[in-house]
Parts: sequence; structure tokens; C-alpha cells
Amino acid sequence: MTEPAASSGTYDIEEVRRKYIGFETTVAMGRYPVEYDAIRRHCHMVDDNNPLFLDAEHSKTTLHGAVLCPPSGWLALYFASLGPWPAVFEPLFPIVPTPGKRIVNMSQEVEWSARINVGDHLSVRRRIADVYQKAVSLDPEAVWIVAEAIITNQRDETVCVITNTMLTHRTPEEQEQGARSQEAE
Amino acid sequence: MNRSQRYWADVEAGDELEGFSLDITPRRLALQVSGSQDWYPVHFDAAFARKAGHADVFVNTGFLQAALVRVITDWMGDDGFLKRLRFEMRRMQRPGDTMVCRGKVTARYERAGEALVELEVWAENEREGVTTPGTATVILPRRP
Repeated sequence: MTEPAASSGTYDIEEVRRKYIGFETTVAMGRYPVEYDAIRRHCHMVDDNNPLFLDAEHSKTTLHGAVLCPPSGWLALYFASLGPWPAVFEPLFPIVPTPGKRIVNMSQEVEWSARINVGDHLSVRRRIADVYQKAVSLDPEAVWIVAEAIITNQRDETVCVITNTMLTHRTPEEQEQGARSQEAE
Repeated sequence: MNRSQRYWADVEAGDELEGFSLDITPRRLALQVSGSQDWYPVHFDAAFARKAGHADVFVNTGFLQAALVRVITDWMGDDGFLKRLRFEMRRMQRPGDTMVCRGKVTARYERAGEALVELEVWAENEREGVTTPGTATVILPRRP
């Protein structure tokens, strides 16, 4: 774990760490079961024409007997979350307070335990594993959040665990405003 | 795309995974939003991206992951199982770039009865070099 840098201004990174590291959400079930067309759109954004993910007739010739969801943590989380509307980018975001509201994902790791079939109904439980402050060129007071998402199916089997590291940062304009506020104090 | 099944015994360290390339065009960015359902404007609204200090919009994590997963699943065949994938967004794929995705085998071994293969996978472009390095662990079937 990276140690947090000293905080400045009114944002107290140590208090945020004490309060939010280890925080877990309740289990939330996806709005819809895993469905063909969302998989098709996901595949076609990168010209993935693998019949394993697209073709119900082909799936009958495989050991799996069903169209599979590609092993993308992003897509698993989509099916375990709110669905296509309302558009919610990052449900964790309102949980951890940060000085900046802009987000950049930095890394992701997905550990798979089971395949996902069309028709499965996924759920997710989220946990905040770490929060720290580390400077980046975009913002010297960027706050990094490491969050885990545990995805389960309708049989309560864990299908994957996603560990995502993202940074939150201020815009240059917000940084200037913050500097002016500090000078005025 | 090669549709034949790949077997563990036939794999060696150093083998290359067949890659592909995608031009990052406005149409591709629209496909990105459709396919990922990621409505965060930094991935399609240049003014929003520039206000945050970025040079331009850039493709999102879901798009990059889908591309790396395609490299792996095209290679491993219907009965392979992706056990783990880790990747980092170190640099960006922007409009005008041609994103190239590739991979190679780094190790083949058995553990706890599983026939495992380690891979390096990555996305690159001419402007930045490797933008998105990754590693993966795959279980392949044994030859019948």
C-alpha cells in the first residue's frame, strides 16, 4: 500500500482513510439478467465476432451449451449494476469524499472463478480497499481509490473479483481556485 | 480469427498471440459508448476532457479491456478459461491513433492439477508505444 502524502487545505486524507477503508456496500442485484444484445454491443465495439459470445446456434456445439459473456470485468459489473439507464458512471464515487470530481482509471485486475452465461443474474458487493493521496501531473493532490467488486451469480457463486484503482483529480481551474482560497485564509 | 481449439501441450513460451488493430475514429468512440455504456464525458466530449487538463478525449477502461480480452479469447479457443487479467492504463489511446493489440506466451506450467499458461498482452500505438500493458493467466484444456 502506498502511504498517503501530507494533505493540505481542508481535506483530511487521514480522516477519510480511517472512515472509508474497509467500507462495504450491501449486495445489489443487477437490473436485468445477462442478455444477448448488451454482449453483442460490447463485442462489436472492438470488432469481436467470436461466435462463443454471439451465436446461439454455435453455443449448442460447445461444452458450455449457452452463449457466454466475454470474460470482461467491465461487462460483468455492468450486468451486476444498474443497467443501461439512468447512466451511473461510478457508484463508488459518492461514497468516498474527494477534493476533485474528475476520474481516471489507472489499473484493473479481474480474477475469474466461473463463466457467465446468457440468462445468469448477477449481483455485486463493493469494498473500498485503500484510499491515499499521491501527486500526478494532472493534480498534486490527486486522491487514489482502490475498490473491489465481488460479482456473484443467482446461485450465490462468486464469478469474479474485480480490483480497480482509480484516481480522482481537480481541474486546473479548480486547483487555481483552491490556491486562491488558501492564500486568502 | 482462428477457430480451432488450443491445447496446453501445444503451447510454448515465446509463442505470439495473433493481434489486431483498430483505428480510433469518431465512429469508434460512439461504438465505445454504446458497447461499454460508459457515459463519462471525458471519453467522448473533447471540451470536457480539455477542461480537466487532458489533451483530448481518450478511450475508456471497458474498451481497452474488451480489446485485450479479444486477443486472449480468440487465441485460447472455446474451452479455454481466462483465470486472471491485470492491465494498467499508463498512456492514452486518442482519436487519430491506430490501436494495436498483441500478446505472447511467457510461461506454461501445471499447478494444483490445472494446465496453466501465462501471457503478456498489451495495447500500443505509434504515438505513445505501449499504452496498456497487461498480464493474464489462462487455463487450457489438455489434448484428449
